[in-house]
Amino acid sequence: MTIPRTRYYRYTIFIVILGLVTYLALGYGARSFEAYCPFGGAESLWGLFTAGEFTCALGPLNLSLMLSLLVLVLISKKTFCGWACPIGFLSELGGRLGGLLWKKRPRVPSKTNVWLKLLRYIVLVVALLFTYKTSELVLRGYDPFYLVFSGFGHGSAGIISIAVLVVLVVGALVVPMMFCRYLCPMGAVFDPLSRLGVIKISRNETTCTNCGNCGKACVQDIPVQQLRIVRHRDCTNCLECLDACPEKDTLQLRAGL
Amino acid sequence: MRIPKLFIPTIVIASLFGGYFLKSAFTQPTTTIAYDQKAGAKATFIVDGVKCKGTAAFFTSLYDSVPGIIGIETFASEHKAVFTYDPDRISRDSIRTIMEAPIPFDDGTSEQIFKCLSVE
Repeated sequence: MTIPRTRYYRYTIFIVILGLVTYLALGYGARSFEAYCPFGGAESLWGLFTAGEFTCALGPLNLSLMLSLLVLVLISKKTFCGWACPIGFLSELGGRLGGLLWKKRPRVPSKTNVWLKLLRYIVLVVALLFTYKTSELVLRGYDPFYLVFSGFGHGSAGIISIAVLVVLVVGALVVPMMFCRYLCPMGAVFDPLSRLGVIKISRNETTCTNCGNCGKACVQDIPVQQLRIVRHRDCTNCLECLDACPEKDTLQLRAGL
Repeated sequence: MRIPKLFIPTIVIASLFGGYFLKSAFTQPTTTIAYDQKAGAKATFIVDGVKCKGTAAFFTSLYDSVPGIIGIETFASEHKAVFTYDPDRISRDSIRTIMEAPIPFDDGTSEQIFKCLSVE
């Protein structure tokens, strides 16, 4: 089995970021690893508007990273998720490991898939409402990023947090990218802008042989072989489909509206 | 317009660095306390233990009745406290001694909660 070249680049960036977050989580560095979570930017907005102060442990870096990533989404869809998010990386590895464990992986029916994706908006609304109401980072107890890197630190919800993490780990082995697809509140923040992302995958219908390799390679389960331009909100421009395509220049990365 | 594949990792790294360097545009404190309006000397302490709004509020409460402290701003994500003080009435060393003093609990025990890592 040959590993596509682009994946080497992706995984190198992922590993560097994972290493940095682990380094910070171990207590080195001037800031806590939480200061680098872009979702903290969304959580801090209410406190900034109402009191001119950051909420709980959040700081300017959370906000500036979120704004910078929103610009990135407008340029290149959810590229952060597929190239830099540590939880995205762990989810993808879980999905690949699951692929080795299952002879035939069960698939989530497409209608159910659509409904389940609404969960991330519920997570987003609940997380923001409770954070704004309590000025505490209420998501900590259920946030895999926090639970993994803090080692179930302050704010984790004991047995509930353990159960959440077990469900997410087992879920990642069954449904690829389960957390990212159904539960990630940052993904929900990115969603409306992701559809507008300028850089997208486009498929040349005349040279395409409809082999379906691109759809099979997509970690987000997007049916690339059925689309002329991949405007799908979940596309992370990870380029796995481009590498899987046997026909030269049939799938291309293009800028356009 | 066709985009080379390497543009994607380039723009990801650029946006992460961009976000990092943009942070100074949003510098806001976690808590702000002003005991007086007059000007004074500034001292920035990096304090292990100031890690959220709650701990920052408790930290500043240690100075509520300390003469010479004009104001305190805390920055929890950077574990930082910026003191404005009157150097004729209190020294940096005294400010440090107060933060590092063991805190007494109701059960008769006491514990050091804050530890100064550096002073600027």
